[in-house]
Amino acid sequence: MKTKKILTDKKQAMLVPLIAIVASLIVGALAIWLVGKDPVEAYHALLQGSGILPKQSYAAYKGMLTDFMSFLNALTPMIFTSLAVTVAFKAGLFNIGVSGQMLVAGFMATILVGYSDLSSFVAKPLVILIGMVCGALVGALIGYLKYRFNINEVVSSIMINYIVQYVISFCINMFYIDTVSRQSRAVSQAASLTLKSVEAFGYKMDVPLGIILAVIVTCLVKVVLDRTKLGYEIKTVGANRQAAQYAGIRVGRTLVIAMLLSGALAGLAGVTLYLGLNGSIQPRVLSSYGYDGIAVSLLGNATPFGGMAAAGLVTIITKGATYMRSIAGVPQEMAALITGLMLLFSACGAYIHYLMNTVKRRQQEKEIARGAKRTVDSKQKEEA
Amino acid sequence: MDTVIIDGLAFALPLLIIAIGGIYSERSGITNLALEGLMGVGAFCGALAVVLTQNSVPTQSIASFGIAMLCAVLGSSLYAMLHAVVCIRFKANQVISGVVINILAMALTGFLTSQINAAVFGQPSSKFVLGVLTRYTVPGLSEIPVIGAIFKGVYPFQILIVVVAIVAWYVLYKTRYGMRLRACGDNPHAVDAAGIDVARVRFGAVVISGALAGIGGMSFAYSISANFSTSIFSGYGYLAIAALIFGSWKIVPTLGACLLFGFARSGGYMVSGMLALPSAFSDLIMILPYLLTMVLLIFFSKNNNPPRALGEVYDKGKR
Repeated sequence: MKTKKILTDKKQAMLVPLIAIVASLIVGALAIWLVGKDPVEAYHALLQGSGILPKQSYAAYKGMLTDFMSFLNALTPMIFTSLAVTVAFKAGLFNIGVSGQMLVAGFMATILVGYSDLSSFVAKPLVILIGMVCGALVGALIGYLKYRFNINEVVSSIMINYIVQYVISFCINMFYIDTVSRQSRAVSQAASLTLKSVEAFGYKMDVPLGIILAVIVTCLVKVVLDRTKLGYEIKTVGANRQAAQYAGIRVGRTLVIAMLLSGALAGLAGVTLYLGLNGSIQPRVLSSYGYDGIAVSLLGNATPFGGMAAAGLVTIITKGATYMRSIAGVPQEMAALITGLMLLFSACGAYIHYLMNTVKRRQQEKEIARGAKRTVDSKQKEEA
Repeated sequence: MDTVIIDGLAFALPLLIIAIGGIYSERSGITNLALEGLMGVGAFCGALAVVLTQNSVPTQSIASFGIAMLCAVLGSSLYAMLHAVVCIRFKANQVISGVVINILAMALTGFLTSQINAAVFGQPSSKFVLGVLTRYTVPGLSEIPVIGAIFKGVYPFQILIVVVAIVAWYVLYKTRYGMRLRACGDNPHAVDAAGIDVARVRFGAVVISGALAGIGGMSFAYSISANFSTSIFSGYGYLAIAALIFGSWKIVPTLGACLLFGFARSGGYMVSGMLALPSAFSDLIMILPYLLTMVLLIFFSKNNNPPRALGEVYDKGKR
């Protein structure tokens, strides 16, 4: 019996983001063409700018590796924010407060370790630990407010984002301001999670240590979500809160724990951003990484490794935008536009799923109809 | 004291109209985190209209104001259709769609602003300059002690917002359309059984929310920022969402929440001005409205009733 190839659910889940990516790149190319530039050259420049393809020429001590390292440096916080959103999402919560949690973690780590003169072997692990704890506390607070007082997590997150942003801005302006850069004073090299201007293979580069941590943590989150009782509980609560309750899962506790984990991951994003990529905090500004993380997590189907891949893609586009402008003359805002389109198309993923399922169902119905006809035919033959 | 009321209202009313937009969308069952983006796109379209017509229509005139508001409403309604299509037709997760719409709005308006500035005016700039709108004072009424301040230094958009808000209240609570809209958010199956197209009602509600958010966005562009640039995306839309959830998805309590935000903000500024504190302290004052909201939420959230079908994709076959 011949059957038409039917996509498995897993393949289908992978296909949807791919369709979104291709569609957005096509629309992006169209927009670049409308501005009067060459889309192929522009996309080529994007990859060159993030150190994936070689550029025509490099300045002294700079090479593809330099660009690639700085790409990884920008990628690290994105992976963590995407993970933070993913974990909350699995529990049916929407962590819109990632930016605020990042800021608290980054600020606390900066003032406690960044300005101390601890040696780097003590300082770096301490930065990571403080970041995780501070982020987790803020996350858990949001979870607790939801569980104890029924405060919508979106509202409490937004309020906490504002409060944190202004309080920390006040503290920086009063005590830690660098009068030249109008940012907080730069953290010590010992505490920084990015090794600045390392010389290797004849190049100078910034080596992000956080990326190793990001890969390890992504694996850990994957294991916790898929292979442990806690992960099972989180996913059950996310899928159906009432069913989880009847199954004997303590829903409130699970919600708080999920937010705690999400906050800890956001904290890691915070320290890798403020004590790695940037090295200082700009007062009164919330990082856009938090909101981007929501979208990136979605593009990656809200799975740890999918999120990582999506983070890579989005970072290539944002990171390569500067080079794209200088080489292909395409305005830098184009990068944000392509990313936005990509996210919009992947938000329509549910519809693509729906279409695919309809096709699938029709095929199955045909199969059944054909099968039924065959039995009727054979019966008629027997009778004859 | 007068400045507290004047500035408080000038902030609270645009916030209110955005929040009412959110109420329309959410009472019909569509979660609307896109208010921030809708507001920004409205401001962009309005500001663009002002800048393009400035040679024939003086920027501060009532005609220019009218054109700006009209374009803001049209632009943001059109953009809201994107949210409506993605949520209703394409059955996307509404929260995600909202966030994505916001990200896209910021990218799109930033891109277009610099492109248009370069192409039309030949200067690389990332903003459209509007200037602060002229304020009016009602003679007579403004002489009343304390309450008179309501009629002092009124922006034209405040009058527009009050009128629109009253109409919006009437439509939502006193007309058949409003009743159906609210029913769509609580029990879409019943609405469907009554022979009304749920998708159409919801689509209309999201477009209305876009129109109202556009008015709010343009008002902020005219007052607080006095120009359009992507810095207008500074969280007013999210604040409006907080206000409407705080107001339990009802228009009158939401008005209270918006007034609270407005007065806490302007009051805070006045206090810091009176104490002659260093400018860094204004940051501490700025947290007042948010802190107050958190505290009040702890007491009042128990009786918070979101629309029952909020955020659910309507599926005819499901029971």
